[in-house]
Amino acid sequence: MGRYVLRRLIQAIPLLLLISVASFAILKAAPGGPLAAYEANPDVRAEDLERLRTAFGLDQPLPVQYLTWITKFAVGDWGHSYAYHQPVLDLILERLPNTLYLMGTVFLTVLVLAIPIGLLTALRQYSFFDHVVTGATFAFLSTPTFWLGLLLIIVFGLQLGWFPLGGMATPGAPFDLGDRLRHLVLPVATLSLVQVGSHVRYLRASMLETINQDYIRTARAKGMPERVVVLRHALKNAAIPLVTVVALDLPEIFVGALVTEQIFGWPGMGRLFWDAATRFDYPVLMGILAVSSTLIVFANLLADVTYGYLDPRIRFA
Amino acid sequence: MFPNLRRSLVVLGAISLVLGACTPPAGPTGASPAATAAPATAAATAAPTKGGTFIFAMWQEPTTLAPQYANQTIAGLVGQVVWEGLAMTDPDGDYVPQLAKSVPTLQNGGVTISSDGKKMSVKWELLPGLKWSDGKPVTSEDIKFTWQERMRDPKVVSRAGFSDIESIDTPNETAAVVNYKSIYAAYPLNFSSLIPKHVLQGVPDPSQTEFNRKPIGTGPFRIVDFKAGDSITLEKNTNYRFAPEKPYLDKIIFRSVPSSTVAIAQLKAGEGHGMWNLLESETPDIEKDANLKISFSPSNNVERIEINLAENNDPSDPSKPHPILGDVRVRRALIHATPKPQLVEKLLFGKAKVGSSVCPQGWAADKTITQEGYDPKKADELLDQAGWAKGADGIRAKGGVRLSLVINTTTGNKTREQVEQVLADEWRQRGIELKIQNMPSSVLLSGSWDDKDPRQRGTYDLALYTTNAAIDPGVHMSQRYHSRQIPTPQNKSGQNRVRISDPELDKMIDEAGSTLDLAKRKELYSKIFRKINEIAPAIWLYERGRIDAFRANALGWKPHAWDNITWNVDEWWLKK
Repeated sequence: MGRYVLRRLIQAIPLLLLISVASFAILKAAPGGPLAAYEANPDVRAEDLERLRTAFGLDQPLPVQYLTWITKFAVGDWGHSYAYHQPVLDLILERLPNTLYLMGTVFLTVLVLAIPIGLLTALRQYSFFDHVVTGATFAFLSTPTFWLGLLLIIVFGLQLGWFPLGGMATPGAPFDLGDRLRHLVLPVATLSLVQVGSHVRYLRASMLETINQDYIRTARAKGMPERVVVLRHALKNAAIPLVTVVALDLPEIFVGALVTEQIFGWPGMGRLFWDAATRFDYPVLMGILAVSSTLIVFANLLADVTYGYLDPRIRFA
Repeated sequence: MFPNLRRSLVVLGAISLVLGACTPPAGPTGASPAATAAPATAAATAAPTKGGTFIFAMWQEPTTLAPQYANQTIAGLVGQVVWEGLAMTDPDGDYVPQLAKSVPTLQNGGVTISSDGKKMSVKWELLPGLKWSDGKPVTSEDIKFTWQERMRDPKVVSRAGFSDIESIDTPNETAAVVNYKSIYAAYPLNFSSLIPKHVLQGVPDPSQTEFNRKPIGTGPFRIVDFKAGDSITLEKNTNYRFAPEKPYLDKIIFRSVPSSTVAIAQLKAGEGHGMWNLLESETPDIEKDANLKISFSPSNNVERIEINLAENNDPSDPSKPHPILGDVRVRRALIHATPKPQLVEKLLFGKAKVGSSVCPQGWAADKTITQEGYDPKKADELLDQAGWAKGADGIRAKGGVRLSLVINTTTGNKTREQVEQVLADEWRQRGIELKIQNMPSSVLLSGSWDDKDPRQRGTYDLALYTTNAAIDPGVHMSQRYHSRQIPTPQNKSGQNRVRISDPELDKMIDEAGSTLDLAKRKELYSKIFRKINEIAPAIWLYERGRIDAFRANALGWKPHAWDNITWNVDEWWLKK
């Protein structure tokens, strides 16, 4: 097990390097550049643009630009944002708590809702409850978050006036838990509704498969209480596919939700990435992509390890 | 969220509706700049209430507030509450002193020219007793340091003006003599934001210090909190030179919101007092709401269609004229075939002016200059004269070349897309085919040869976008209309993208840039603007205004053609 994890970690290094090369190449291949932001400024002359190009290192050949970035990154220097001028790591650390706060809440909400709903729909297959949930999950699954978010803003923010239209707290007001929670409701609802939908589908499908297995029948035949049959025998097995899905949700807790944070004006990582993308702020983009690709690789490893714990038949070789 | 507040707003709205019924309603053209600006100006003269926190919504966010790095309009708008300079522009477009006693000129002896007539010196005298917001005195050393810092730090946004300075003498605490290497006509606004020496002296990279987000200035407010992506909070500066009379407000919070739509919704719901930058199409909705007021500032932003006079090729050889657009008669015909008044009325809700010239505002503007009006018959005549005859498909052709052009603009801009559609339709009736090919602004407006800006490479026929000359049009004219600035593989950064090349024009631009007498410069620029209209390298579609909105209880604000709406934030106040 220990050797397996170690080998996977070593394998991750060339993979992450490859991802960084690909990200860099794709970012640079996109037409446009960071100097476009200076174009509208009537004070900026041709020589100013040339000077800035040199100051940002954009005059260097692409391989040189990449090597400069990766060698500095390797020793912990994530570079400086072109637009904010600040160290990329500082910008990320500034936004990270806000994203953790939002996405952590979403993560917990989804689990708390998806597991019981998923279980119930499977146990009461083709019941009225199952039909309603199946319909609703399909509807939310097929709803784009940007649309759902705007819809919630219009209905609950604008028309009913129950919740604020955006932001994390009322500006200028002293800290107030109620105010914080009110700001949290709509973005969490937007993200949760979509994810609950997908997780319920996964759990329902695998639960239905498990519940008809021989060992479940055996457990029932032994006279075990239904609660024990469902929770200990069925759920533990049925949860395996869900674990993969949930583990792959983990990176999102750190990198945030691009569209939803933008719609709700949430000062998190997703919004930072969005703003950086519109400004061609390569150092910030590369920094966030490095974080998210690393997290995804680790989340995969975590999923595999948890798999082994849940299903001892899986061996690490 | 605020049930009581909402209810009282409804009541307030009802009252103002009743009151509003007594005054004659504003007609469709009643929304002219002067008409909308008047109530606010009048209110400013009433006795203002002191205190309160003003919340101003912005749907973009400053990335930095240090004056030497700030490049966004929104950074200027927020930064202006903190920064001040030696001189500024008043709402009429005239130079007025800010931290200086007066604006030096040749007439008042503040500006002297060397005996050979090639260099100049400008003597600035600071007001006595000025202090930075941290209480340290403002001295002539700060003026000198501002120049040194701009020239030292490679990341500053612009060195325009500063690179023309040879040396600065500081004979005493309040006097600075700026010695220019050449005649630099735009000197009055060269030092429009000072940098404090006592804070940044010896700092190798100020962008890595707190100054980047919380610069120290002399303005009416000082920054106390900068929450990225959320809000910027400022408190009144007790060391402000008009303290304790001004500013009237205790606090101002610039709140970051996701979009102008959300900003409008919040303003309507009473969650804020003012907001930045509305689209023309958003104004009718605001005007219907009696609790809201619109601020319309005319500006030098001219929405234009720039015409490539040289061949559409990568890279374009400036000596080879464009096979269609190289002929001035065709360019004139395009102008005549463009229904500008219709665009302004229908697409911009009357919140713009028909375009006339490259520089329609400020002391350099000549308001008598016009561009050819909408005249389809004249357009047909010109095209006939130029030898373009209609073919079987209704499109004109000449010597095997079809009169088919491509227009580029930025994607996602509804107004621009509508303009293109109107033109495609109008021009087709004249026998001109117009193909629409839009691209992201980061491509079309990247301004970079290596990033393949089509304007830079010359791979375009017509480009629709907005830009503007500064109050001193010198830089704009020499960068964009002088033949030496035509972009080529050798001169990748040149900005003369219309590829206009006229020796007479070059001479006038050079002369106007090195003349100090404002009256004489005005005369020269008038000739330059006329000459440009004669050559017709662009269709000046319309002059855009800057539109901001306020709640009716927010008073004291005043539109300014050359400045952000926050220029007089020390006079803003909230009616209880």
